Amino acid sequence: MSIKVGDEFPQVQLKYVPYDAAAPNACKGPELLDTKKDFVGKKVVLFGVPGAFSPTCSVAHLPSYVSKVDELKAKGVDLIVCVSGNDFFVMDAWGKQEKVADKIIMAGDANGDLGRATGLSIDLSKVGLGAVRLTRFAAIIDNGKVAHLDVESDPTEVTVTGADSILSAL
Amino acid sequence: MTIKVGDIFPDTVLTYVPYDAKNPEACGLPQQLKTHAAFKGKKVVLFAVPGAFTPTCSEEHMPGYVQSVGEMKSKGADIVACVASNDQFVMHAWGKSYNVKDDILMLSDANGDLGSALGLVNDGTARRMGPIRLARFAIIIDDLKVVYVGVEPAPGVTVSGAPAVIAKL
Repeated sequence: MSIKVGDEFPQVQLKYVPYDAAAPNACKGPELLDTKKDFVGKKVVLFGVPGAFSPTCSVAHLPSYVSKVDELKAKGVDLIVCVSGNDFFVMDAWGKQEKVADKIIMAGDANGDLGRATGLSIDLSKVGLGAVRLTRFAAIIDNGKVAHLDVESDPTEVTVTGADSILSAL
Repeated sequence: MTIKVGDIFPDTVLTYVPYDAKNPEACGLPQQLKTHAAFKGKKVVLFAVPGAFTPTCSEEHMPGYVQSVGEMKSKGADIVACVASNDQFVMHAWGKSYNVKDDILMLSDANGDLGSALGLVNDGTARRMGPIRLARFAIIIDDLKVVYVGVEPAPGVTVSGAPAVIAKL
């Protein structure tokens, strides 16, 4: 049973390494992102990718959001979060490579909590990515409620989950 | 049941993205490595890390091997490989950050098959690192037979580090 528009977004805690402008290459201690407490009263764009550093995710998906951060914020988005089944150290390193800085929170769902709570997990063991990964999706969560959700029918592609699609849904 | 000296190394499938000397920035197509087919008749140094891009692994464990790989090969190691529970894209990117080229094979055991076969897998959920994480260890395999096993008993790098392995080659 997967999450759908109108649902309350589930409460899950994910870890991320916060960006430190004074020491941009440092790996500071991770912080917790609580998908209930930290989303209260905010408009959040949350997009999920199957794998950090993988081709589609690196070439098409994450960059589309990095380049549109200002436009997203101009349309009222308070927080942009990228999540995957990778751990938070990997997400931090990927974010640094893609020069995300503090524009997007790069969160790790290595325990699979978010995948299970939303029903958006996918088994990618056949392609060597492990059994509990997130499929490619993009959601708008408004004050804790799912206002928009798109899931790629083919997770190797970026069509309805790219930043442009989200912008037109805002 | 944990692997020990004298055992035959298990036959499992790992994945990796090969280094392409002509196109070093490219992220090529992942390939499979079947341990028995790839290691038969060879002396292999295989070291495992709990997590690519994590502090201890990146600052203490991996650099030792990057610096010593030439010495290991001159002491008879045919293959030097690093394995972790991260997927092959992450391992490839991590290897690139050290400029390992094809000196060290960066292998992925994302499905946990090798970890389970060796009895060297831990549950990282308490640290939000996922339920399947390889322990930190180094193994020397000679024509599929395990001749050295160094599993770290505590955080840090001692028996699984490059100096410990070089002493055994």
